[in-house]
Order: sequence, then structure tokens, then C-alpha cells
Amino acid sequence: MYRVVLAVLAFAAIACGSRSPSGGELRDHAGHVIALEGPAKRIVSLSPALTELLFTLGVGDRVVGRTRWGQDPEAALAVPSVGDGLNPNIEAVVARHPDLVLFYLSPSNGVAIERLNGLRIATASVRLDGLADLAGAARLIGELVGARGVDSILIAFEAQLNEVTAGNQERPEVLLLAWDNPPIVIGGASFQSEIVERAGGRNVFADEALPSLPVSIETIVAREPDIVLLTGGEEPTFADAPEWQAVRAIRERRFVIVEGTQFAYPSFRAPEAIRELRRALDPHR
Amino acid sequence: MSRWIGLGALALFSMALGLVLGPTTIGIADVWAALLGRGDETTVAIVRDLRATRTVLAFLVGGGLAVTGAALQALVRNPLADPYLLGLSGGAGLGAVGAISFGLSGVWGVPLAALGGALIAIALVYRLAVVSGSVLDPRVLLLGGVVVGSFAASLMGAIMAVAPAPEIRNALLWLLGSFSGASWTRVWVFTAYAAIPLGIIWVQARPLDLLTLGEEPALVLGADVERLKRTLYFSASLLTAVAVAVSGIIGFVGLVIPHAVRILWGHTHAALLPAAFLLGGSLLVAADALARTLFAPVELPVGVVTALIGVPVFIILVRRWQT
Repeated sequence: MYRVVLAVLAFAAIACGSRSPSGGELRDHAGHVIALEGPAKRIVSLSPALTELLFTLGVGDRVVGRTRWGQDPEAALAVPSVGDGLNPNIEAVVARHPDLVLFYLSPSNGVAIERLNGLRIATASVRLDGLADLAGAARLIGELVGARGVDSILIAFEAQLNEVTAGNQERPEVLLLAWDNPPIVIGGASFQSEIVERAGGRNVFADEALPSLPVSIETIVAREPDIVLLTGGEEPTFADAPEWQAVRAIRERRFVIVEGTQFAYPSFRAPEAIRELRRALDPHR
Repeated sequence: MSRWIGLGALALFSMALGLVLGPTTIGIADVWAALLGRGDETTVAIVRDLRATRTVLAFLVGGGLAVTGAALQALVRNPLADPYLLGLSGGAGLGAVGAISFGLSGVWGVPLAALGGALIAIALVYRLAVVSGSVLDPRVLLLGGVVVGSFAASLMGAIMAVAPAPEIRNALLWLLGSFSGASWTRVWVFTAYAAIPLGIIWVQARPLDLLTLGEEPALVLGADVERLKRTLYFSASLLTAVAVAVSGIIGFVGLVIPHAVRILWGHTHAALLPAAFLLGGSLLVAADALARTLFAPVELPVGVVTALIGVPVFIILVRRWQT
């Protein structure tokens, strides 16, 4: 019985692909039909990654609302912020008179989507967790805004990505540390882990199928990272803490510190991010 | 006598558990060798600098919380009293969340902010309990604690709503209790600080017995009730505040361990306090060992595990006590 249910669910998931077989209606990555007539003219983007994608596709001038975190590219700063992207303030979104609201694909957006659809505002949930999602996201948004030339952008991107991706070489073991107390590390199911691997490093927690996880320092010691990758800021103060001296890479201050949203979410700047990481990792090979 | 031997054995056993269990598998012989400084560098670092520090700190914090709980239950004569009752957890949480969202970092940044928040909460509740007339009326203390705690929690909610989300989530994880910051420095700081309030509470064991009879009988029997209450209040609160600073908010130990000890060995504080210290320490060491191991490499908040172990044990005790 269990297997039958799984098979039905799997079939349903496939059937909910982005385009219906008839080709008429457009569906988002949650499988919902997008009730939009003609190309979107006024777009509120509730995810920083999607905001940047709209600008990359050349329709930044149609973005009328962004989240307070959506600050890339610089031109996006001129767009009014509607607050948070998860659990958005519906009134602030509606006040921008959008004809399309873009969501990051997440179950927690259900209520907001229902409310907006009730107000006859079209919504689309877009999956954009890793580099592999970028093409699907760009194509869907391209169709929604009527952008042309998406395919050529994607082809160029693919070429750049292949160019910067490291080949088989000695891979330094990298600890991606998100927080120090309690220690939280980045697992395999994350964009950061993906770009580290492409830059020729190996995430010591790549085998954990989670975006991030709290672990004990002991686990970190046992995985023997060569380098600690941190996002933002200067050399961390916890490096002096006695309990962290058990980790050799921290004792020897082998930090790589990167900054910028190109390291935070998938975007067409990913090749740039990978190149920067490669340069930083090279001395440790 | 045999109960003390039993408790001592339990404490030693839990400490051994704390040293042997962990996300990496290290054989008992290797653990022993590493303790003596032999073996490869990594194993020695794991056993001596990570596991041993966590174990000792968890034992001291668990013992401290259990003693505090016992003292507060006597002070407010309410079985529901626990170390966080008097608004402390709210104050400490507010301090920690505030520190993180305002970018106050550094190894001691968050603990000190939590300590500061807890101290402010203590002062506020005390002030409330004093201005209300009768000095440290248990009812006013309880109400004041709840009110100050909710106020702090609301402020915390406001900060969380406007601050960057991931940092705050991490702060909350810290608040749920973790010994990942354990080091010998913290062990010494905690010991030096906790010894005084622990000693003060221990000296009050006999007056505490009187206080459980009620304030008037205690007065008649010659206890300086007001002074006793003030002493207990500050000792217990200051001890809890520093426990929060080194390990976050670890529930359950301070609530249930004193009751468990009363069920097993009676109500005399001269025996209750040290027994609670040993039992509370043992429980927290075992809980921390499990927190590190159960879902390794993911580490659970230790406060989650204390309740998972403690509640079933407590239910068994209560049932035995009733029959």
C-alpha cells in the first residue's frame, strides 16, 4: 500500500511540471496555475535571489517591490522594500499594486499566496536552491515577463560555469561554519556547499543532506578540515576561545573569509564567486 | 550511608558516560589513555579539551540548578518553582538576543549579555516584591517573576521581528541550552562564582526546613525569616544567572530533581541539597552525552534531552511513591 501511495505521489509530482501538456496554462514550481494575462508589468519579488534574477533578465524596471534583504544589484536599492520575504506583510505587498508576486518556493507561503490570489493578484513560487535550479527559474520568469534571450543567457552562463569549475585535483577539506556557539555548519544540501565543491574544495559535511546543522566541536575535530570558510566580517573572535583550539584549522588561523550575496544564493554571478573561492583555496592545495 | 555511595557511583558513572560517549567513536581504553595525555593528538584534544570540559561543566551546572530549584521551592512554598521562575530566563534571553542582533560578538559577549539581562530581571522582581509591602511575599515574587518574564519575552519577540533572521535563530538555539562553549576557563569561572551562593544555600539547610513549615511557624521556631528569604532569593538567582551565561536555559533539572530526591529520601534539606546536587549533575552529564550522540553529527539542545530522560524517570518515581 505504502509503495502504491508513493508511486501515485511521484506521478503527481511529475505531472505538476512547469508546463501543462496542452501548453496553454503556465504552472509554477509548486504546481499552481499562474493566473496572469500577458507579460507581468508590476512585479513584487519576495526573494533576494529572484529580485536579482529579474534585473539580470533585463526587467528590473518592472520590479515595484523587493524584500529588505534584496539589495543586489545596486539598482534594486531604488525599489521600495515591502519587508520580509517569508511571512510577508500582505498590505505592504498589495500597496505596490503588483500584477505578479514572486515567492521563494516554500510551504510556509501558503496563506500569503491564498490571500493574494483572493485579491486577484497572480503569484508564482519559484524553486531556486542550487545552481541546477537557475535555468528553470530563469525560463519560468522569462515566460512570465515575456523576456527574450533567456536561452542565450543560459548558454553563456553554462559555458562560464564549466570554465571556472575545478577539475580533478587535490581538494582541500573545507569547513563551512555559519555560527560558532552552538556551532552550526553548512551541509551538502546548500548552495554554498555546491560552489565550494565546484571551486575545488570538499565540504567536510557534504554527506549531510541538510542545508545546515548544529554539531559539536568534537565532530568538527574528527572531520579534520584544512580550511574554515566564513561569510562576512573580519577574522572571528571565537578563534581565540580555548574550546576551539582543538580544531587544527582554527588553531592555525586557516580562514577564508568571503563577502557578498554571490556566495549566499544562486545567481548568474556564481562563476565569479567560484573563481574567487578558487583563488582563495589554491594556496591550501 | 548506602544512598551516598549509590549517588556517588551514579555521578562517576555519568561522568564516565560523558567521557566515552560522543559523535566520534573512541574505545574506553583509548579514552583512558587520552585522559592521561597519551595517544594521538586529535584523540587527546577531543577527550581532554572537549569531552572532559563539557562533562565537568555540565555536572556543575546540573548540580547548581537542582540546588537552586530546591531552595526556591522552599522559598515560595510552591512545588512548581524552578530556577527560571523568577523572570530570569526572560531577562537572560533578552540579553542574549539583544547582544546578537546588535552585533555584540566575542567569546564572552553573549554570555555576559545574558548574565546582565538576568541580573536586571532579578533586580526588577526584587524591587516589585519589596514595594508591595510585605518583604518577599511568595505570591508577589511569583507574579513579579511571571510579569517580568513576559515583558522580556515580548521585547525579545520585537527584536526578533526586526533583526536579521538567521542570527536570531542561532541565538535561540543557544538559549535552548548547549555546552558547546565549555572550556576549562568556563569551568573555573563557574566554579569560583557558584561556590559562594551554593555555600550560602547549604548553610541555610536547617532554616530552610523551618521555612517549609510556613513563615509564621519558622518565625516562632527562631528563624530570621526575612533575612533568610532575601539571602535565598539572591543566592538562587545569581547562581541561575551564571548557569544561563555558561550554558543557556536548561529546563527541567531544577524543577524535577528536588522532587525526585524528596520522594526518594525525604524532606530534610541537609540531605536534600547535596543529594540534589549529585543527582542533578549526573542527569545533566548524561543528557549532554546523549545530546551529542543520539543524532550525531547533529547535536540536540541539551534542554530537550533533560526533559526526554527526566519525565519518564519522574513518572516512575511518582507512581512508586503513590503505592
